[in-house]
Formats: sequence, structure tokens, C-alpha cells
Amino acid sequence: MFLHYLKVAFRNIRKQKMYAAINVGGFAIGIAACLLIALFIQHETSYDSANPNRHHIFRLVGEAKQNGQVHSGIAFPAPMSKAILNDFPEVEKAGRIMSNSLFGAANNQVRRPDQQNNTYEQGFAFADTSTLEILDIKMIYGSRTEALKQPFSVILNKSMADKYFPNQNPVGQRLIFNDNPRLPIIVGGVMEDFPTNSHLQYRGFISLAGVSFWDNEQSQWTASNYDIYLQLKPNTNIASFEKKMTDDVVDKYMVPAMVAGGQKNAKESFKDTRIYLQPLSDIHLYSYNIEQDDTRHGDIRFVYLFAAIAAFILLLACINFLNLSTARSANRAKEVGVRKVMGGSRNNLINQFLSESLLYSFLSFLTGTAIAVLALPLFNKVSGLYLSMPWKEWWLIPALIGGALVIGLLAGIYPAFYLSYFKPINTLKGNLSLGSKNGRLRSSLVVFQFSISVVLLIGTAVIYKQMQYILNSKIGFDKDQVLMIEGADALKEQTTSFKNEVLNLPVVKNVSVSDFLPVNDTKRNGNTFWEEGKQQDDGFALQHWVVDENYIPTLGMKLIAGRNFSKDFHTDSSTAVVNKALADKLGIKDPIGKIITNGGEHLRIIGVVDNFYFESMKQQVTPLCMVLGNSNSIVSIKIKGADMKTALATIEAKWKAFLPNQPMRYTFLDERYAAMYIDVQRMQYIFTGFSILAVVVACLGLFALAAFMAEQRTKEIGIRKVLGASVAGVFTLLTKNFLKLVGLSLIISIPVGWWLMNQWLQDFSYRISLNWKIFAFASLLMMTIALFTICFQAIKAAIANPVKSLRTE
Amino acid sequence: MIELKHISKWVTIGGKPNFILKDVNATVNEGEFLSIMGPSGSGKSTLLNVIGMLDEFNEGEYRFFHEEVHKMKEKQRSNLYKQYIGFVFQAYHLIDELTVYENIETPLIYQDVKSSERKAMVADILDRFNIVGKKDLFPTQLSGGQQQLVGIARALIARPKLILADEPTGNLNSKQGEEIMNLFKQLNDEGVTIIQVTHSEKNAAYGKRIIHLLDGRIEREE
Ligand SMILES: Nc1ncnc2c1ncn2[C@@H]1O[C@H](COP(=O)(O)OP(=O)(O)OP(=O)(O)O)[C@@H](O)[C@H]1O
Ligand SMILES: [Mg+2]
Repeated sequence: MFLHYLKVAFRNIRKQKMYAAINVGGFAIGIAACLLIALFIQHETSYDSANPNRHHIFRLVGEAKQNGQVHSGIAFPAPMSKAILNDFPEVEKAGRIMSNSLFGAANNQVRRPDQQNNTYEQGFAFADTSTLEILDIKMIYGSRTEALKQPFSVILNKSMADKYFPNQNPVGQRLIFNDNPRLPIIVGGVMEDFPTNSHLQYRGFISLAGVSFWDNEQSQWTASNYDIYLQLKPNTNIASFEKKMTDDVVDKYMVPAMVAGGQKNAKESFKDTRIYLQPLSDIHLYSYNIEQDDTRHGDIRFVYLFAAIAAFILLLACINFLNLSTARSANRAKEVGVRKVMGGSRNNLINQFLSESLLYSFLSFLTGTAIAVLALPLFNKVSGLYLSMPWKEWWLIPALIGGALVIGLLAGIYPAFYLSYFKPINTLKGNLSLGSKNGRLRSSLVVFQFSISVVLLIGTAVIYKQMQYILNSKIGFDKDQVLMIEGADALKEQTTSFKNEVLNLPVVKNVSVSDFLPVNDTKRNGNTFWEEGKQQDDGFALQHWVVDENYIPTLGMKLIAGRNFSKDFHTDSSTAVVNKALADKLGIKDPIGKIITNGGEHLRIIGVVDNFYFESMKQQVTPLCMVLGNSNSIVSIKIKGADMKTALATIEAKWKAFLPNQPMRYTFLDERYAAMYIDVQRMQYIFTGFSILAVVVACLGLFALAAFMAEQRTKEIGIRKVLGASVAGVFTLLTKNFLKLVGLSLIISIPVGWWLMNQWLQDFSYRISLNWKIFAFASLLMMTIALFTICFQAIKAAIANPVKSLRTE
Repeated sequence: MIELKHISKWVTIGGKPNFILKDVNATVNEGEFLSIMGPSGSGKSTLLNVIGMLDEFNEGEYRFFHEEVHKMKEKQRSNLYKQYIGFVFQAYHLIDELTVYENIETPLIYQDVKSSERKAMVADILDRFNIVGKKDLFPTQLSGGQQQLVGIARALIARPKLILADEPTGNLNSKQGEEIMNLFKQLNDEGVTIIQVTHSEKNAAYGKRIIHLLDGRIEREE
């Protein structure tokens, strides 16, 4: 019986190639989208799932309220992990990671003692031995408990170990970090590379044993630089532990430390502070609102969003199938009647039609899987992931087959019931006004399809606009034509002469030496300052940047009051140029000449620059002050003219003359700036891709429906034309209703799109406003595409020779 | 077996009932061979469809094996079609997507006849109707007469106990028509009940009883 059904289904597909192609094509697109997104979701939700103790492992997150806003962070004081371990029996293990680049974590110039050239290596962090155990680090050489015991020992990951010590056990070997031969680093062990689905991606761990980044650093409670991981005993009550721990840490350690430092109402300032435990498996997807967490995380909201989009595209394809099946039911009606009279029961017929939709679904899954495999590299490129089809997993094939069954049944169930319901007498007499019967359902579904498509189009337009705004708006500095040379600290005493020689090059406009730049992965230094004469309690957080006197002109920042640093003033060593946000914070009309202090340093404000974005536009610009000083690992060079290639060559030649052994490592400021918004950019690409898919699927359906309507009305059109209807008249007749539907979907989708995208924009402190142009654009685009889609069929029908169409009757 | 009492059927046109069947009374016993005659538009096909439970009626009573037809569920009817009744349509009504062979095979599929058995049965009837050579053609590739033959073959394949035939020979030449009539006669002799609609006096004469319809009424019986 089933074979019989399949045979009929195949014959129908062959007979109606266009409709079959549209059904399979639409489904395949939907399935490919779903597959890719399923891979994405599977990857995103698999983070840190390999750790056998993952249910008992937590990362500490601190949360504090400031001016009604909740800020959260993961950096804590050095002695805190030990204090918690000692104070609470629930804690089985506690370990720290220190990744602040100010103190030699993150990036290092590395070479073997026998090598001349340094290699710039990223991904270092300081760690405790207990951290290795909590994170279940797998060792290849050396032992996990011994590898970091010695001060200045390091664990390299496999790829880095292979790079410096190929084909050997490097334990006990030495490495020189940052050209400091007096302080060789000893390899204590080699660990496996972190899997791609680990929230940490470090390539090397440096021992924290015996480390003190400054005097008494390890016992100081007022500086926060350490991420803390805890492994708790099973059956610990998390909520009550969090409360106990917060109280303990604040009352017993933090407040006394601050009181000792001179702050009076220390207790008060911790009123809204809460330290909570973030489960290991939540770190990847639920850290999007944690500031100062440098590791790149996923975002559960994206996971939901993409899942929804994929489901919608698949739904659109199902709607196509449903609409085409019911619209074309007249073609099947006679068959239904005959089969019933031949003894076929309703169940037989339902089964037959379901088999048919299953066949479509399986064909679509084959095609869709093929499309997904072909599109995977592109998807990876756009999403910045390394996904692959899990062919080796046992569940893949059953999952695909299961998916095909579900989709086939889902799309086929309504048409099957609808078609099998026909009474034989009506279908056999051929007087069934089929097709028009559930025209209302079909119309609503078309409206639904186009509403979804328009919402996606609006989303795409808004994201594009915001991205353009980010890239092109006044950001307070001039990011174009600025070359950033990194690793310049290798120049050591020669820094100034390098700077001066480059400055004399004809292609160069200006040169500045500073590690603090308004892009990611450059130095930051938070500090608390207050206006001299006021109380420490009135202090506010600011960024304290060390720059040189060329900094402001090189980066094209705008002075709105006072002056820049100058060599002519010898006193400039204790002066500061501040940004407008800081001036506003002080709340004085003329801040020039005012002095700010953090207790140790006293800075006289000599100038104010307009605000420039140095963090993501998602955040407000915060107070910042710049002071003259030495911070020499990045040289920024503003190029004159447009010939970047020549400029680069000349500068590189100069670099070679100074440092023949270290290749020049450089990036461009504008690219670094764009990289800060890579997630927005990705979102834009992915949104664009998916909205194109949705529009294609919806239009495929519209195309087929238009073809069907035109086909059904061939005779009517023929008669109308014989009676004198013009081509334009017939064209209008055929397109009017469809355009009405698309129009209706615009009315529905514009408010929805407006609301959704307005929500999205709330994430940005600096954002575009939603104006009518975006919606007009999306509407016009959708109308045009829809019109083109139906045009083809309508014109074909309108210009057809009426005599021909009538004769075939 | 079939009892029709005061069966009327009408359509309302312009507020006035327009009768297609009016007060039809008839009884058909098992093993009968009944012919229905009448001019075009007199309601023959309608009556046959009512008997075949395809069409509904507005008034009257219809019992099929003492069971009231209008109370039957779709499932019961479906089972009757499957096991009991064979239809020959005036307009053939073959399934366009199926070949001759497959069209004839369809009723057997619904009866869950085994594949090997089906093969034998279809081969047998193809042979009997002399259309073996056409078995892989599709209906659109056949002449009207050939389609009619296939329609008859399909109605007979499952060996129904009641055959309802609407002008089964309308498109056949006289020799073929005669062969079909002889076949019907032979089946009738074997105990199959047959009700046929026909315009031809000669074919009608094969029946043991003839009903004449005029404007939806039984004009006379012979
Ligand atoms: N659904 C319907 N609505 C309106 N009138 C109908 C309907 N079905 C049949 N009729 C009318 O009923 C009458 C009988 O039709 P029927 O098909 O039974 O005639 P017939 O005797 O089989 O004619 P023929 O010999 O041409 O096949 C016709 O006048 C027809 O117009
Ligand atoms: Mg008739």
C-alpha cells in the first residue's frame, strides 16, 4: 500500500514539476537554515560540559548598584579565594585566574634562550594549582599538582609546546619572556588545548606561586584583579551560601580594609553589593551583562533569537506546502472521489496524502542537508565559529529522519484531512468550487508569511543603520589612517629616537607612544579620584591613561577647553587633560586649574577634550584623565596622504633598522575599532542572510500561488479579453488581491518590527532613532519583490492569446 | 436487498423546488438484473448515484439490506464499496496518474489482496478485456472506448456482489458492447446483482426488469 502511495506521489511530482520544485526548494532552504542553527545551538549549549564536576563548580560574580544601575564584574581581591576557602567548610576547592595585561598576563614576547627573534604570543594567564584541578585541566607532560609549584613556571598548551619544543617533553626547559633573560620562565608542564567549547581559551598558565605584583599585593583587599572559581561540596545550599559569603567577605575583609584606607562610610557603600555563584555551564551563555569579562562569550539571547528565526523560516516553508496543497486540491479531488468509491476509506486517503508530504519532506531533507553542508563554511566565516557536521555522531541520522517525519506530518496533516474529506459525488460531478473554499485561510497564511519577512527586513535595515552609525558617527577621535605598531616595548631606550625618526618621515603626520587607546585589547587602568579638598567618599571611578604630548593630535581628539600637554611646560608631569565626562562629573563650569587626587597623585587639569568612545557604544562614556608618562608598547602613527602601502614600507624599513630581530607587528586603528563591534556586524550578516531566506521562501509560495490563480482563471481571462478587457486591466485583476495581502502584512509587521528593534537598540547608549525611512524602505522593498514575483505570472496570463485558452476548454 | 420508498430529490432554483427525482419507489432483490431507461436529463444517473449511496436525497426512505442508508456512517459505506459494490461511471473516472494496470489494481489494494494474487487477477481481466497491450499506458493515452473498458474492468476486478453501471457501453462499438452485456449476463447468472443505466433498448433487454424514468418519476416498469 505504502509503495503504491509513493508511486502516485512520484507521478504527481513529475507531473507538477514547478510546484514540486517550489515545495522541495522552500522546505530545503528552511531545513538548511534549521540545521545550521541547530549546529550553532548545539555548540553554544555544549560549553564546559566535559568537566565531570561541572554541577559543583562556580565562578564568582560581584554585583553592585550605582546610581540605580546594576554593574557586575568578576574581578576580586587577591586574598579573597583563600579567605573563602578557610571560612566556609562547604568550599572544597578555590582557585584564581589573573588575566590583567598590566601585570604580564594576556600577551608576551616569547623566545627560546637559543632563539634571536621574539614571537608575540597571546592567551597567557596567571593561575593557582587549585584552578587547574577545578577546571579539570588535562596534562600531556608534567603533573597537574606540580607543574605550577615553582615560581615563574608555566604550563603551555600543546600547540604552543609543539611550536617551541617540537617532538619532545619540554618539562624543565626554559623560555625567555619579553627579553628578560634574568627572569627565565621554566616549563612546568604541557596541557591539552582547550576545546573550542570551553569558556576559557588560554594557551598558557603562569604560576602565581610567590608572585606579588606590587608590595603586599597578595594581601590587599582594595584592588581587584582575580577571577575566582569555587568547587563546592555536593548538596550545598547555593542561595544561603551566597548570602553568607557576601556578608563574610564584605564585613570581615572589605570594609575593614577600606576603613583602614581612610574611607569613612565604607559599610554604606557595600549596601547593594552581592556576590553570587555562576554555575560553570552558565558562564558561556549568561555572561553578556558582566562588564570587564574579557573572554568572548556567547549570548543566550542570540541562541533564542536564532532558534526563533530558524523555526519561522521552516514554518514559512510548511505554509507554502499547505497553501499549495489546498489551493491545488481541485486537481486531486476527482482522484479522492474515485478512490473512495473504489473502497478507499478516509484513513487510506489520509495515509496516502501523508505519505506524499513525507516524501516531499524526505526529499527536502536530503536537499536541505546538502545545502547546509555547502553553506557551512560561509556560515562559519560569518558567525566566527568552527562548526562541522557531526557525521560521526550516532544520533545525526536518526535525528534527521525524525525531523523529516515531524516536518512531513506537520505540513501534511491539514491538507490530508482537508483533501480526504471530499464527498465523492461532488468531486466526480466536477462541480466542486474547490480552491476558493479555504481562500481565507490561505490569505491569512500569506499575510503571516509576509509579516515575518517584513519584520526580518526591518530588523536587517535597523541593524545595518546602527552599524553604519557606529562606524561613521562622530566618535570623538579620528580612527582613519592610523597605524598601530605593537610590541614596541622591545625598543626600550630607543623608543624616543624611533618616535622622532618616524615623525621625520615625509609620509607621517604625527606619532604618539601610548598603550592606552580607544579600542579593545589595549591597556586600561581604573582608579578612584576626587576633587582636592573634598572627601574620599565623594570619589568617582575614572580611567587613568598614560600618554605623550602627541597623543591628542595623533588621534585627532578635540580640545574644547584649555590646552594640550606641551614640552615647553616643565610642570606638565603633574597635570592632566580630562574628557568632558569627567568635567561634567566634577560639576564645575570651568574645570581648568582644578586639582583631582587619589590620595597619592595630585593632578591639575590643564585641558578638556570632547568625549570620545573608548569602550563599546553600548556603554556611556565614563570619566577619563590623561597624564604624561611612559607607556611604550604601542606606537600609533598617523599617516599623511592616501598611499598606505608606501607609508607602511617606509615605516617598516625604519623598524628593521632599529630591531632587525623582531618583525613589526601592526594593525590599523579603524579595523580595531570595527572589531569592537564584530558581534553587531555578525548579527547584521546573519540577520541579512536569514531575512533573504525568509523572503525567498515566502516569495516562492507567492509565485506558485500566483501561477495557480492565473492557471485557474485562464478561461475567465480569455473571456474577459474577448469581451474587450485590456492587458493592463487583466494584469490589475490578477495582482490586486496579492498586493492587498502584502499591504496588510505591512500594516501588521511595521508596529511589531518597530517594537522589537526599539528593544534591541536599548542595548546601545548611543543609537540611531527609528525613523519612517527605515520602514518605508522595508515596505517598498517588500512590495517590489512581491510585485516582481507575481508579475511574471500575471503578465504571462494577461498577454496570452485568448482564443488558445478558450479552445482548450 | 434494495428498498426505495417515496424517494424525492430536488434543488431549489429561484425559491421553487425543482425535482430531479420524485416519489420513486423500487425494490431490487439479490440476483436481479435491472435496467434503467429514460431520456437525457430524466434523472437516471441521479437515481443510480442515490442507489450507490453517493448522492443524497431530500425525502423518503432507502434501506440497503434493511439498514437505513442515511443513518450509515462513512466508514460503513466505505466498507460496502470495498466489499460489495462495483461502480462503472458514465464519465469513466479513471485516475490520471495511474496506468491502466494500476487503475484496475486499485480496488484490490484497498482490500489488502496480496501482491502476487493481485498480479494474477489483473492479468486475468486484462486478458478477458483484450487490453493486455495497453496495461502500461495512462488514461489520457487511451480512446474513450478503451477508457470505458478499463472502467468496467476496474469495477469487476474485486468480484462485487452489486454492480452499478451508468451507460457502460455508451462509447463502445456494438460488438464490444455485446461482449460486455454477455459478461454482465454471465455474472448475473453467477448471482451478481446488476443495475445498469442505458439508452439502448437492446442492452436494456439483457436485464430481467426495466424501469422507465421521465422527469424524475418512474413512468413504467416492464
Ligand atoms: N447538482 C445538481 N444541481 C442542479 N441540477 C442537477 C444537479 N444534478 C443533476 N441535476 C439535474 O438533474 C437532472 C437529471 O440529471 P441526470 O444526470 O440524472 O440525467 P441523466 O438521466 O443521467 O441524463 P443523461 O442521459 O444525459 O446522462 C438534469 O436535468 C440535471 O440538470
Ligand atoms: Mg446520466
